[in-house]
Amino acid sequence: MKQKPGVCTFCGTGCGHFMMANGGAVERVFPSQNHPVSKGRLCVRGWNIHELLNTAQTIPSPLIKQNGQCTQASYDEAVTHVAGKLKSFPPSAIGFLASPRATNEEQFLLMKLARAVFKTNTISLASESGHRNSLNVLHAATGMAGMSGSLEEISKAEFLLVLGSDITKQNPIIGSEIHKAAQAGAKIVTIDSRRTQIAKLSSRFLHITPGSLKLAVAAIARSVFREGLIDADFVRSSTKGFEQFSASLASLSDEAITKGTGIVIKEFQQVAETLKKAKTAMAFFSSGISGLDEDTIGYIFNLFAMSGKIGREGCGVNPVAGLNNLQGGYDMGCAPDLLTGFQRLSDPEAVKKFSSAWGVELNTTPGSSVYDLLASEPSKLRALVVVDHDEGIIRSAEAIQKLDFVAYIGSYTNRFMDYAQVVLPMARYIEEDGTFTNTDRRVQLSKKKLEAKSGILPGWKLLARIAQQAGAAWNYAGPAEVMDEIARLTPAYANISHKILAGAFGGIQWPCNEKNPQGTPHFDLKKAGVTINFAPVSGVFDLPASGADFPYLLMIGKAQDFWHQNNLMKKTFIPLREYNATLLDYPEGYVEIAPETAKALQVRNQWQVKVVSPYGELPLAVKISEDVKPNAAYAPYFAKDKIIKRLIGHSEPLNKGEDATVPIRIEKV
Amino acid sequence: MYLIRKDDILTIAKALSSDYQIYGPAVEPLSGQTFFDPVTDLGEINLAAPIPAAPPKSVVFPQTERILSYRYAGGSAPVEIKPDYKEQPKALFGLRSCDLTGIQCLDRFFLGQEFVDEVYRYHRKKMFMVTNTCVKPFTYCFCVCTDSGPAAEEGYDLNLTDIGDYYLVESGSAKGKDLCEKLKLEKAAEKHRAEKNSRIDKSISQFEALSTESKAWVSRVMNRVTTGFAKEAVWEYVGDQCLECGACSFVCPSCSCFNIADSCTASGSCDRLRTWDSCSYEGYSRMAGGHNPRKPVEDRRNKRFFCKLSYSQSKKYLRPGCVGCGRCNWVCPGDIGLPNVAKYIRRETTSREQL
Repeated sequence: MKQKPGVCTFCGTGCGHFMMANGGAVERVFPSQNHPVSKGRLCVRGWNIHELLNTAQTIPSPLIKQNGQCTQASYDEAVTHVAGKLKSFPPSAIGFLASPRATNEEQFLLMKLARAVFKTNTISLASESGHRNSLNVLHAATGMAGMSGSLEEISKAEFLLVLGSDITKQNPIIGSEIHKAAQAGAKIVTIDSRRTQIAKLSSRFLHITPGSLKLAVAAIARSVFREGLIDADFVRSSTKGFEQFSASLASLSDEAITKGTGIVIKEFQQVAETLKKAKTAMAFFSSGISGLDEDTIGYIFNLFAMSGKIGREGCGVNPVAGLNNLQGGYDMGCAPDLLTGFQRLSDPEAVKKFSSAWGVELNTTPGSSVYDLLASEPSKLRALVVVDHDEGIIRSAEAIQKLDFVAYIGSYTNRFMDYAQVVLPMARYIEEDGTFTNTDRRVQLSKKKLEAKSGILPGWKLLARIAQQAGAAWNYAGPAEVMDEIARLTPAYANISHKILAGAFGGIQWPCNEKNPQGTPHFDLKKAGVTINFAPVSGVFDLPASGADFPYLLMIGKAQDFWHQNNLMKKTFIPLREYNATLLDYPEGYVEIAPETAKALQVRNQWQVKVVSPYGELPLAVKISEDVKPNAAYAPYFAKDKIIKRLIGHSEPLNKGEDATVPIRIEKV
Repeated sequence: MYLIRKDDILTIAKALSSDYQIYGPAVEPLSGQTFFDPVTDLGEINLAAPIPAAPPKSVVFPQTERILSYRYAGGSAPVEIKPDYKEQPKALFGLRSCDLTGIQCLDRFFLGQEFVDEVYRYHRKKMFMVTNTCVKPFTYCFCVCTDSGPAAEEGYDLNLTDIGDYYLVESGSAKGKDLCEKLKLEKAAEKHRAEKNSRIDKSISQFEALSTESKAWVSRVMNRVTTGFAKEAVWEYVGDQCLECGACSFVCPSCSCFNIADSCTASGSCDRLRTWDSCSYEGYSRMAGGHNPRKPVEDRRNKRFFCKLSYSQSKKYLRPGCVGCGRCNWVCPGDIGLPNVAKYIRRETTSREQL
């Protein structure tokens, strides 16, 4: 049997696949029929992952840049250079940027390298904001910093609410599972300001005005409250904080809701009634680079808590990570204020545990977000170590070029290499054992399938070499030992080991410990023995205002374009062609407008227009689509850099994530 | 017609293994998934295993393969071209009849038209086909609707049928017969053929109860698709469910579309790769200059079902383009495997229930 089971490493779904390696290449990939999440399905990315794995565009050897010249170096030279350079900066000037694609073992060691060896707490994950917001809300509400439901249980939910997420494009197999549930009779309600594929497949689509998602969710919650549809017993016995939440809904009026969302009250009432009728229900929203803000997530959580749809099978509030190990990155403490498993750096007990396990005194001065430091002027950040990055980081290119020292660790060639003084290649995920934690907390072991090209070190060994060079005695025999250390330090991972995972087809969902030896499919209220806290909410609904000068609301980065502007996809053939199909039609990006808008402007498909905001203007091509409302416009993710620079001048409006909007006017040129 | 004791069945595979790379059905132990791949140990072969997850299409038409390599230094330097033909003899042992039919469709596409595909021809040149009658259908099967099973009727070298303690071994070619003679297999009698036929009848009678996931009235739908009686709104209903993953094409035993891409290094040496392609992809039908005759997803989707189900396409294969294996149904992230689409067309399903 030449087929080896593995885990797809594109999005956060964690689909199972099989690979057949032949010689040094991956001959083919095939979906895993009995995998608990993907059940024999893969998306276009997953089906073509072997094209990426066979690319020649890998980093061939360590590189050191001196006087603008890049020269090949040995690992010894490069590692010595990196360790020596980093030692020359004060800890507060050093930052680490972890990769949401790296394995848990690599994430953990990078976190340990930052905190225990270089004594800095400035460590961040790419696409940090969205998922962290979800984890903060869920952790405060349930004590579990992860999806409260389970992907395997989608088929058991009678009601599925999809919020502002183009889920069949971002996490296609989760979208598929939702669609299959609908085919079997479940009700799907999609709330979005763009008609996505899942909107077309829904039993009800609320096509809201851009920027009004939070108001729409609050409107359903208000209907649940006013129509007496709350699960009163559940609220009384299992939750606290409902009064503050229900009081915050009182200030909303029918008129304000309808004006703000563009949806009549009756529709919210129908959704509320359907939610009440369903025995089980789940909410899905995307949680990646432009995920929702905490306030909106709080409203979503509270809607489900007041409806009693949390804490049991087939229920849950489910953030969906866009990248394969984003959840794992947070689990491994790749955040300024976190240790593993959402243990806080501000918790003296946790710090004591880590300090004694690692034999060092941890620096407890909180670190900062790498992105915040890059954005601040002047920045105290002077040295940066970046692991395996997609090109999203290029938006900070100018700030990165100003740093004194940058090291890049990765497998594939990448534009980021241009900014680095030292480049350290590491083996790809199929060349070493490693674990990934998907968006439903499922820890899966991916076994080694190929030998790395001669001399290329796996990530764990490379990080250990840097630590050793900097004077730390790291002597791991392999990634399994790293996982053993993670398990010792992390209650949610306490019973997880490579040995157990090797026999657990489809992985194990954390918490996996003495109390939950088989893992935890969904947040189980009875078993957890906690009281659910309603999320504190603001009661404030700032709606983007369009006016005579700027009559359209432009959605930005929402419903991220199919390919994430992904460094990896560009190294394939078929997915690259698909990516290019859009780029060839719209090389400079496009603005999607409704047919009515196009008629009013007298423009046709692919015509150039000028998009003008209060801050600036941007030329874009027109794409006419019935998927946006006449008062709205949409510009995809790949034009986001330009939008930040030219239409809004700064990235603040984007902090609203998926719900970010900018009032614009469109001029024919 | 010969007989071989069930316990001895691998002697056929063993005899073939001296001249051929053996491919056969084997179950991956951790997941329980059946693959039809090169076997590393004959003991892995499990003729009773469920239908393989993937058809053996990749044996003759790999997902990605180098078809030639070339070196071009630029300017007026000559180009060195080296074709990469794979001539290694291969024996497919325990092939299901649907999958044999799939290879026959590929033969007609790659070999049976005006141009012969040399790369494919080399793959196909030295092959030995041992088919295995399905004495029991699987959940997704509907070969009885597409005239491709449960037993192979032609195109095999040997056909095996489980008739209890023995396999009935039928030879379909001279080299099949030679092998049986060489192995001195016991001759079968007419009653054994009768036993085979009764097993086939039983298998067919079990479709109703066992093949619960795939029911397709293919002949009826071929008529509708060919005569244009499939409603536009049905295609939209189908298109809305397409996630554009390409899986239906990839697992289809008869899908033959491919893409060509060159993988080059800085030194000027290039590999010309042939990879599977799928009509579900937007870039598939995009032409130079940007025009795309099948841009909307529903147009791309109905293309697939025209290809599988219309009479005009059937002329190419001399049969329906669908072989009834049902794989597209279980890999589809939408709900538009061929049997389901057949159902939507027949029932004229165009909308879903609203709140």
